[in-house]
Amino acid sequence: MKADLGSAMGIRFHQKPQLENPILIASWPGIGNIGIIAVDTLRAVLEAEELGEIEPWDFFYPRRILIRKGILEYLEFPSSKFYFKRIEGNDIVFFIGEEQPSEGGRVYAQGRKAYQMANLVLDVAEEFECRRVYTSGAAVALTHHTVKPRVWAVPNSESLIPEIKGYDNTVLMSDIEGRGGQGNITGLNGLLLGVAKKRGFEGVCLMGEIPVYLQGLPLSYPRASSSVLEVLTRSLRINVNLDKLDELDRNVQQRIEDFYQQIPLEIRGQLDRLRQVSYAQPAEPGPITEEEEKRIIEDIEKFFKKRGGGG
Amino acid sequence: MSQEYPIRIYKRPELRQSCLVLGWGGDIGNLGWKVTDYLNWRLKGEEFAEIEPEDFFYLGGVAIEDNLARFPESRFHVCQEYELVVFQSVSPGMQWYKFLNAVLDVAERHCQTKELYILGTMVSFRAHTAPRELLAVVNSAEMKEVLSRYDLAGDMDYETQPGERPTLNSFLLWIAKGRNIPGVSLWVPIPFYLTAMEDAQAEKKVLGFLNERLNLKIDFSDLDRRIREQNEQLARARSRFPQIDDHISRLESNLMLSQEENGELIKKIEDFLREGG
Repeated sequence: MKADLGSAMGIRFHQKPQLENPILIASWPGIGNIGIIAVDTLRAVLEAEELGEIEPWDFFYPRRILIRKGILEYLEFPSSKFYFKRIEGNDIVFFIGEEQPSEGGRVYAQGRKAYQMANLVLDVAEEFECRRVYTSGAAVALTHHTVKPRVWAVPNSESLIPEIKGYDNTVLMSDIEGRGGQGNITGLNGLLLGVAKKRGFEGVCLMGEIPVYLQGLPLSYPRASSSVLEVLTRSLRINVNLDKLDELDRNVQQRIEDFYQQIPLEIRGQLDRLRQVSYAQPAEPGPITEEEEKRIIEDIEKFFKKRGGGG
Repeated sequence: MSQEYPIRIYKRPELRQSCLVLGWGGDIGNLGWKVTDYLNWRLKGEEFAEIEPEDFFYLGGVAIEDNLARFPESRFHVCQEYELVVFQSVSPGMQWYKFLNAVLDVAERHCQTKELYILGTMVSFRAHTAPRELLAVVNSAEMKEVLSRYDLAGDMDYETQPGERPTLNSFLLWIAKGRNIPGVSLWVPIPFYLTAMEDAQAEKKVLGFLNERLNLKIDFSDLDRRIREQNEQLARARSRFPQIDDHISRLESNLMLSQEENGELIKKIEDFLREGG
């Protein structure tokens, strides 16, 4: 059943194709833009066609104005667009939100607007009879930027756990040391998964790991987007060329390395130990003890406070 | 009283073809509030409606300003004889689209509003002795043509710069365009060292335009007196403090001050005017 969303908000379709057995993949910006880079890369590589969009004005403050010769020509809002791609009976609907609808300057959506946005996205999933919903975001982890990021997978149904256990380089929350299967996915990348459950869609959120010391930097982290895409494309049984994402990763890694060299030697020494963390057997304790882990996080926080931000 | 949430109407105004003037509280020099207050005072504006605050403002307590507890107000006044509606409000903190549409709902449904005048200010780095300009951005070519006979700077080109966002006035002007309500967003630059106090000349510039355009027949002798008094105060500040005079003289010669000098000038002028000049 469609949620009561009021008359002021709606979805504008550019076309309504017949889709076969589709899934929905959705993402909004978040830490390191890991999810949105993954989803948008897949959309671009597959050359997905534009399907429609959510009308923006009730969700967003405008972001750009153009005045010519004293006349207001137009106001531009962040876009929230749907795309589709036919793939031999396993079609894909994409949703890409340029911003999370937030109130009062918050970065991540919450409250009524977020719930309305999540419901609108799922209205489209319902319209096209999508069988599953994927979202994607970031998992802040005690890892190093030279280590291949893992993917933390959170399903919204018990029945999906065996499937997820079969994915490469992927962990469930219960596999993360000290988490006990608990956690929180902030913003719409998480909320959509919950609302999907409420409305009877099965769903999975795939979160690429980002090192704890990079979470506050104004940098994307495409290395983790690659990890997410590897899992996603295998799960969907499609092959895509990710050369452009690899190139972006090389550029970003260089900037991260430049930043890393600015970190005081003492803290960097602690962080360097994260290079040795091996996830071959994720349930086993790594080479860093709980005490050391705590100290590393404290040192990083002190460093960012001293730098005057970064968080 | 009728309720059309979030609007509360106390009394239905009898208007045939009104103009709406809108000013925000807390803008630079508090000009929007002062100009709309002045119009209500001089034209005997009568309050007839308000917008309920709970959807648009954070109501976790009250703000204290000038020793008084403040609460967000969004009120409509009607100046019946002049077919004029005046809206005063604090800028909403959320649900801007809904709020701005509520304003235009009152204007269209209850006031038969045909034109919209939105008041705004900007910081100027010119001296207070330079004449005030009035910049105008309109939402239609027809409105531009209508306003071309007034003393307005109306040929501005502008595009949002990285890190900036459009103003609430532009958002309202755009919504009005969608409703086919001709509108103009007026911008008066206020010298940077008067922004925290008041700029009577800037008020007069805006009011003078509205007086002429809306045929309000207001006699501004009281405002002229305030302008004279403010100019005299600033002249006294210049003669008492050579540093103030030096900084303002350089601005009068179209020279830029350093950031530090700007700060000094603001502080000295504000201190002087607060002490009664």
